[in-house]
Amino acid sequence: MSTSSPGFVVPTTLVHPGRVRGGLARREEIWGYVFISPWIIGFALFTFLPMAAAAVFSLTDFDLRRPDDIRFIGLANYERLLTDPVVAQSIGVTLRFIAITVPLNLVVALGLALLLNSPRVAGKPLLRTLFYMPIQIPLVAATLIWAGVLNGSSGWVNTILGVIGINGPDWIGDSSWVLVTLALIGVWSVGNMMLIFVAGLQGVPSELYDAARVDGAGTWRTFRSVTLPLITPILFYNLLISLVTSFQTFIQAFVLKNGVPDAATNLFNLNLYRQAFSFNQMGYASGLAWVLFAVILGVTVILFWSSRRWVYYAAER
Amino acid sequence: MNSGQPGSRAPRPILVTLATIALVVGACGPAAPAASSPTSSATPTPVTVTPVPVETTDTGLTADGKVLIRWFVGLGTGAQPDQIADEQKVVSDFNASQDKIVLSLEIYQNTTAYDILSTQIAAGTAPDIIGPVGFRGFYSYGDQLLDLTPYIAKNNVDLSDMDPAILAAYKEGFGGQVGIPFAIYPSFLYYNKDLFDEAGLPYPPHKVGDKYDGKDWNWDTLTELAKKLTVDKAGNDATASAFDKSNIEQWGYYMQWTDPRGWGTQRGAGSVVADDGKTAQIPDNWVRAWQWYYDAMWKDHFVPTGTENRAEYLGPDNAFQSGHIAMDFVHLWYTCCAWPADGKPAVPNWDIAVPPADGTTTTAKLHADTFGIMKSTKHPDEAFQVLTYLLNNDTLIARYGALPAVKSKQAAFFANLDTRFAPNKVDWQVALDMLGHPDVPSHEADMPNFLKADAAIKAFQEKLITTEGLDIAAEAATLKATLQGLFDEVN
Repeated sequence: MSTSSPGFVVPTTLVHPGRVRGGLARREEIWGYVFISPWIIGFALFTFLPMAAAAVFSLTDFDLRRPDDIRFIGLANYERLLTDPVVAQSIGVTLRFIAITVPLNLVVALGLALLLNSPRVAGKPLLRTLFYMPIQIPLVAATLIWAGVLNGSSGWVNTILGVIGINGPDWIGDSSWVLVTLALIGVWSVGNMMLIFVAGLQGVPSELYDAARVDGAGTWRTFRSVTLPLITPILFYNLLISLVTSFQTFIQAFVLKNGVPDAATNLFNLNLYRQAFSFNQMGYASGLAWVLFAVILGVTVILFWSSRRWVYYAAER
Repeated sequence: MNSGQPGSRAPRPILVTLATIALVVGACGPAAPAASSPTSSATPTPVTVTPVPVETTDTGLTADGKVLIRWFVGLGTGAQPDQIADEQKVVSDFNASQDKIVLSLEIYQNTTAYDILSTQIAAGTAPDIIGPVGFRGFYSYGDQLLDLTPYIAKNNVDLSDMDPAILAAYKEGFGGQVGIPFAIYPSFLYYNKDLFDEAGLPYPPHKVGDKYDGKDWNWDTLTELAKKLTVDKAGNDATASAFDKSNIEQWGYYMQWTDPRGWGTQRGAGSVVADDGKTAQIPDNWVRAWQWYYDAMWKDHFVPTGTENRAEYLGPDNAFQSGHIAMDFVHLWYTCCAWPADGKPAVPNWDIAVPPADGTTTTAKLHADTFGIMKSTKHPDEAFQVLTYLLNNDTLIARYGALPAVKSKQAAFFANLDTRFAPNKVDWQVALDMLGHPDVPSHEADMPNFLKADAAIKAFQEKLITTEGLDIAAEAATLKATLQGLFDEVN
């Protein structure tokens, strides 16, 4: 069937696109769900349900050793964590750690990416591989290696510093240094962030650099006025991921301190773990987990809100 | 020429936020902790888990209808490579001996074993038998353990050859006889004879009351001796003015794998809990012991600090076996680790001596290990059958370095150790003599809010071994206040 019109014939499919395209869309929709169903099922089973369970647990007095004695206590766990000095301490430690590690990771990753994007550097594929390789090493193993390298008595770092006349600090034992140490260990695995920056840098139109050069811009001015604005989406992404992972840091502190953190290393996630699995207070720990989740969600929302002011998307202009 | 951004569209905040949530929650799962930790009566090892046969029903039966009994190792000793091989043999021997029960072995690293057991209990998948485990483990899971009294009577188990005090220790406060004494571990000084010979110094006394080089064998004498045995890379000992504290190669003294409650017993028994069971206290003799040990680390330098102990030349986390420690105050169970699993021992010539006296009192802290049956077991009779098999197994006794609680077996135990350490000859009479000087109350005694109180004491320890310039009396007062807060949570 067709609809007549002066001068030409319009196929029905164009007049009633919804009907025909609806069938296609439905098929595509079904196949789409088929293809993403493994993720949806995995998300439901291993993420959503545990989250929901943790939400319920957070309203109970649940001792891991006595699962039959679980009791509903309303918001008591949340009231308790508001006055728990250990929670306040762990929040302080976590914020200090974030203040050190997030800028450090971003600067180092961006610096390496700029280096590897420079036309003057030879062997870039090899260097990219080398900088990325630490990602492949399990974090526990990497932390144990760094514990040896940074040992204040026999570590290579202090041995080398000693050769040049510097008395190195006790990187792990000294409470004023240990967060820096944790941050440095984190820097070792910025390869992933670096690669994302490299991809972003390669996406900057070369004619903008040519124009900047013609206008007499130097290296710093070009970086500040051309490169940096155009990679702000990448910077935003890396900042977000770095913040989230920093809030969740656990393994390095746990391994370095043999599971017994001091006041300087009791990160929020480590305190959460100890409450759940060392002190068996699963209900209270679930409350802490939801607080952590809410904080990270809040930070994420703020970041997205602020991104309107400083993240540049070319297609929106 | 490149475009500005691939796709050139802003990420949709909602979708990205949802993905971030997934990332957050996904990453919040329990990570795999590792690494070693110097803990009481426990030695660090890699995680080793023997697969458990799959149960066909929730009745604890295997596919072929046998009763499955799961044995959980890791709460105390039992996870060293040599021990694992023997434990596996004990299990296979048991399984070959009869056709009704399948015994399955699960071994976990000590630093995570408590967490794993708690999780298994919560998940309804608790093992049937736990052990070897000391009093710390019993206090952690006391109300989860089966009262063995009816099974002891039913199986006519003879307890007459056991120390009544230790037998009672597994009953008082537990609401039943939750354990049968298996092994006791007195403590004493292990000393490296080669380091004494090199320094031209006589060995420490083997009998309580004997003098050392004409002096009373007390902590002042040990201090002087330990300084002479502490040597820097240039060969200066700690009494020399040229001694370089930043380049120490050998230390005179150490207390391996213990905590501040263990440190305190150097100067006598004590408890952080007053007689009323709910008031925190720090015994004066313990504060003295902590001050002395702290000075030994940071002022006199004859005890390695936390950082030095984690250095490669004292590792991996087995200081005496490195050959850089002259005297080590530790328990009999350390025979597990005074000798390497493979290769030439770094300390081939060692012996044991009595600890110094504080005034006229010598105190040698005592550990005891045994096995327990979880209340949740579906087959208590079969579990008890396995328990008695383990309690009477001489292979395990020897490999755990465990002095049998059954007195008639003790001579054979030491003969076995002599064979193992030959040609090195050890004066085991010291170990037997130290049984007469136990710490009462035990340094491992129960505390209100035990797990948190124990963690607070370990945090106190970490601070002392890593921080110079502390006021120990003030730190002890802070610990007391912390403990009182924790006690009050449950009182």
